[in-house]
Amino acid sequence: MSGIHLTQLRKWMLESPPVEWAMNQLRELLIGALRQGQIPQHVAFVMDGNRRFARSQKIETVEGHNLGFEALARILEVCYKSGVKVVTVYAFSIENFKRSKYEVDALMEMAKIKLFQLSQHGELLDKYGASIRVLGNKNFVKPDVAEAVNKAVEMTKNNGDCVLNICFPYTSRDEITTAIKATVEDYTKPLSAHARPFSQTRITQKIRSRNLSTSPLRASSPTPDNASDVDESVSSSTTLHPETPPQDSRENNVYPDPETISSDTIGDHMFTAGDPPLDLLVRTSGVKRLSDFMLWQCHEDTEIVFLDCLWPEFDLWQFLPVLVEWQWRQKHIDEKALSAKTKVR
Amino acid sequence: MPRATRETEIYRRDAKLNHNLLTPAEREKLIKPYLPTLPTKSTSKRNKNGNIPAIRIEQPTGSRLGVRKFLRAQLHILLYAIVHTIFSVYIRIRLAYHAVKDRILAILYYHHRTPELIQKDVKGLSRLPEHLSVILKLEDGGRGGAGLEALVDEVAEISAWCACVGIPMLSIYEKTGILKSYVPATHRAVSRKLSSYFGPQQPALSLRAPHVPSMESSSPTSSSESRRSGVQHLSVLLLSAEDGRDSLVDLTKTLAEMSQRSKLLPNDINVDLVDAEISESIMGEPDLLVLFGPSVELSGYPPWQVRLTEIFHVQDNQGVGYQVFLRALYNYANAQMRFGR
Repeated sequence: MSGIHLTQLRKWMLESPPVEWAMNQLRELLIGALRQGQIPQHVAFVMDGNRRFARSQKIETVEGHNLGFEALARILEVCYKSGVKVVTVYAFSIENFKRSKYEVDALMEMAKIKLFQLSQHGELLDKYGASIRVLGNKNFVKPDVAEAVNKAVEMTKNNGDCVLNICFPYTSRDEITTAIKATVEDYTKPLSAHARPFSQTRITQKIRSRNLSTSPLRASSPTPDNASDVDESVSSSTTLHPETPPQDSRENNVYPDPETISSDTIGDHMFTAGDPPLDLLVRTSGVKRLSDFMLWQCHEDTEIVFLDCLWPEFDLWQFLPVLVEWQWRQKHIDEKALSAKTKVR
Repeated sequence: MPRATRETEIYRRDAKLNHNLLTPAEREKLIKPYLPTLPTKSTSKRNKNGNIPAIRIEQPTGSRLGVRKFLRAQLHILLYAIVHTIFSVYIRIRLAYHAVKDRILAILYYHHRTPELIQKDVKGLSRLPEHLSVILKLEDGGRGGAGLEALVDEVAEISAWCACVGIPMLSIYEKTGILKSYVPATHRAVSRKLSSYFGPQQPALSLRAPHVPSMESSSPTSSSESRRSGVQHLSVLLLSAEDGRDSLVDLTKTLAEMSQRSKLLPNDINVDLVDAEISESIMGEPDLLVLFGPSVELSGYPPWQVRLTEIFHVQDNQGVGYQVFLRALYNYANAQMRFGR
């Protein structure tokens, strides 16, 4: 019994205005202090543990997700105030559609309402340069949700000081496949010969008329029969690929060279294209897996942290040690790089 | 949202009533006291549609405020120093604690190069990974033979442990891929290690790297004799950074070429196709990935395959150790590790 009284008392204490004020001041101070060091530019969160939290607190699953949303708001505040540019959160996996319809519908409804509310505060978002992006496969969402998504995304797309990437129906494999597909599509568009003022037909005719036999250089030059319509078909295509020089003397379309594809080419087709590289990935609830999240982005230098606390409990107090350790490690890396540099000299 | 009980209460009540309680304007008023000061540096950097005056007005200037700002900044710097001092004390204690703990575990759990002992260690486990993967680091920057020799020895040790436990598939990731150019030598070293563990009845070993033909060695055991322990056949796969992103890039090149020759439509590309190709040419998904470094950093490990892999690392650990390997297996089987055997 006394235990309950004690927690009641503690809660009452924490909620009393002076304590609340002091706690908020402390938070501000700590965040301000964090800003003095290096801050990750791009942080990703796997918001895991809402359902388990609901179960342990004996509340409804949906209620757990609501508390999870509040935790997200808290942590976003910490991130942006301390200087993080891009935050990516794993809100909904394509695999999550396998959950109960009730839960999926509730989550969709929640996303719709929150995004709708957000788009009511456009002015405020603009003031802070906040931008919302939704990463994922939009084919999976219902039209009404998609509409709310588009509205919010469209409204904030010009801002870029603090970006929130919401991965919603997302899996990393789907993302990678989409990027590969987009790259392939890019490379299947024929190059345009539009810009060149010389007509192949005319040249061929001239060569023939003068009866010059310098053609071995151009062994594969078009045969006169179809040469006349080549020009039209090539120039009618509208794509422009300035990076690869167009080769001529091929009777069918000229494509960019697939050998010029690099990991950057594919990276530019990822949903996170243009964002700074992922510095820190945090997963709550003690599960030590990536679960198909940010595979392409996090498999190199990203520091991955698995925490035992559940997502609704996640707050500055859990995140602070992670950030401080990241800063500490970063300092060490910098020092090492510096000493290596001086050694080389 | 900072700690704001009253406001949170109102927000929740609003949410309960399907968000009909508050108008957008009221909501903005609710959070107004908690809004951070507007970012100052962004005003100069990027500004459109003329909200500069609005910002300027909201930031009253004055010497008193300047002083306050200065003091605040000093306070932040001080606090930053304090936090980092406390943290460096904490991390030193943590490092020491982990070093001692790891040392004790290493003494308590030692394999003595005896397959029976290793098997006794893992006897109670409910499940074992079918495919284990490890990330190793080449120390010494690759110059000088010492780093390479140590690496080959680590490969051999881990292979032997896997053979004893009964894990049939082991993939070893090492970023530079130096091992790939020493496949025969590595194969010899692993074989030697296996024979030092198992004696004459060592399991068959196949060592390969993607796009490199595998080196096999048949088990010399006579079929009449039943094998004492472990797996019959261990396959070891050597991976490097080029099996990660580069393999996906190569696949994209191939697909682009096929698409240019109209052998394939871009719409034919789906997750299953990519997965089939990547698993075929590199490897499938490992069940358990063990890191021997102090923190979780994948340093270029094949991204496509780590999707659902359980990632294990021992905090602050340095170097390959049997106890880390064993703890990874216990963790994978959700088992508690007790001190002593």
